[in-house]
Amino acid sequence: MLKLILVFTLFSVSFFVQSNKISVKVLTQERQRVGNVVVYLTPKASKVSAISNKIEIMDQVNTQFSPHILAVQKDTQVRFPNSDSIKHHVYSFSQAKTFELQLYKELQADPLLFSNTGAVELGCNIHDWMLGYIFVVDTPYFGKTDSEGNLTLELPDGDYQLDVWHPRIQDKFSVLSRPLSLPATSDIEIVLSSPLLPDVNQYEDISGEFSDYE
Amino acid sequence: MNNAVNCKLVGLPTILKWLVLSALVFSVRGLAVEVTGLVQLNFVKASEQTSWFDEGTGILAYSKDGAHVQQAFVDLSDSFSNGLSYNLVANYYQLGEQNLGISQAYISYKPLSRSKIRWRGRIGFFYPKLSLENVDSGWLSPFTYTQSAVNSWIGEELRTPGLELSVFSPGRSRNSPISFELHGSLFKANDPLGTVISWRGFALHDRQSLNNDRVPFAAYPSVIAEDRIFHPNYVEPYHELDGNIGFYLGAHIDYYRQSTLRYYYYDNQGDPLAVSHERLYAWRTKFHSLALQHKFDGNTRVVAQWLSGSSVMGTRFVYIDFDAWYIMLSHKYKAHRISLRFDKFKVREDDVFEWDQNNSDGHGYTLAWRYDLNRNWQIGLEQHINENSADIRATLGEDLEVNQQQSLAVLQYRW
Repeated sequence: MLKLILVFTLFSVSFFVQSNKISVKVLTQERQRVGNVVVYLTPKASKVSAISNKIEIMDQVNTQFSPHILAVQKDTQVRFPNSDSIKHHVYSFSQAKTFELQLYKELQADPLLFSNTGAVELGCNIHDWMLGYIFVVDTPYFGKTDSEGNLTLELPDGDYQLDVWHPRIQDKFSVLSRPLSLPATSDIEIVLSSPLLPDVNQYEDISGEFSDYE
Repeated sequence: MNNAVNCKLVGLPTILKWLVLSALVFSVRGLAVEVTGLVQLNFVKASEQTSWFDEGTGILAYSKDGAHVQQAFVDLSDSFSNGLSYNLVANYYQLGEQNLGISQAYISYKPLSRSKIRWRGRIGFFYPKLSLENVDSGWLSPFTYTQSAVNSWIGEELRTPGLELSVFSPGRSRNSPISFELHGSLFKANDPLGTVISWRGFALHDRQSLNNDRVPFAAYPSVIAEDRIFHPNYVEPYHELDGNIGFYLGAHIDYYRQSTLRYYYYDNQGDPLAVSHERLYAWRTKFHSLALQHKFDGNTRVVAQWLSGSSVMGTRFVYIDFDAWYIMLSHKYKAHRISLRFDKFKVREDDVFEWDQNNSDGHGYTLAWRYDLNRNWQIGLEQHINENSADIRATLGEDLEVNQQQSLAVLQYRW
């Protein structure tokens, strides 16, 4: 009987808390869609729920960080495996997380806890062209725009603050930030006023195999 | 020749011992030393011309057909959170005088930095980074087994026990496609550099000289006779003979990771009048090296290098100008790599002794196929042909011009 009541209660809660689908596009002034942008919505009223024990992965593949940008919720652990057959020495000087980590080939380093919000810029002290980011947000409602610049998120009714982040965006953080009330809005378009910083992701196009004697 | 100074080995063995000891101390502190290595076994169909290793005048490594340990090495390295790292490469060669020894031993310091312009340094026994061919571990070429004339010579006679300081700017830290590096080094020893190309001429092989190595060559009468130059028919390339400090300067510029240009100027500042008790001379050797690499995509690249310089010993007893260059095309298809290289090399003399003939030249083609069976095992085949000429062969009653070819089948294991 107790089980039945519990199932009924859960069903009622999920029935009454509406889930909204929103789509977000980030565009340049020339209306070019921008991919790989972190989009996150922070609820204004309710306290953010604690995260699960899931461990996120920032891999090293072909002397590149993979993914280039990883968005995680605050208090997430991130593991740094090394899929290359050479050693890496990953570091960050960012305020949100300062660390350095030796990644020996075929050895697993312990995951690191990211408990401060903001952008963590990653480099490798052996391979200077390597650059990656971990962006830490204090909400479970976040995602990245795809290569076409689109993102769809599902989230319950409520008032939110919507923010976007990408290392090439020059617009002030506060300028792009906007309030959002659900279910009123569904399609959101964010148009950047400043041009993007130059795209140098061509560093990732050609493999570094046999590039230099280290 | 009477201006003899005492031969002093610049404590190279001491430096090496110190580096090995430091490496051991670091690893004992509980940090994992990384051990990598490689063994190459080959079967050779050799050229008929006897190799310099057997005191012949040929410019290829092998004199007889047969199976050999082409090379083996162990590379010990580790790096620490403060930016310090060390690297020690110990080699075994079946060919040559010193079969077991050290080809590189150095400590590097590269502080962690977020600056757009950074610095690093290294101290020990190492190669200047002038080659874009020798980019595999152990300073090997991942492309061909028989290396270019340029880098065969670098591997057999050039190594700098010294200090190198570098300033560099990774393009990605500046949001720019251009990265650059500037290198400057001061070093001792390496005084006899230039000896082997003055008499034997350029050669093509993969035999790096080890820490106390001796590179032999044919017993040319004009070289060894007491009433001639009176020099042994070998060189020990890493001696310090004159107390002078040599230097090199280098500049690298990269466009993304697609194109690379490297320029080096090397001058050992040798005193050409300094001679050791075993009658090895300090040769004043200086050269420019320009290397270029362009990757058309992830699989196909062209690599080229040009080396041009001069060397003098005694009061112009021997003076040579040398030029060597190569161009190589390499293509990777799945686990296959095919590389084709053309080499051209020339030594021209302008000195006082007509009876010591130093002019030599040649060109060669090298075609190699290498196939990775898995992460550890690789097989490969290589065919090399060249036409070369050396005037000094006349002093041994040999033909000046020789055509040589060598076929190699190689089994490689790396870990």
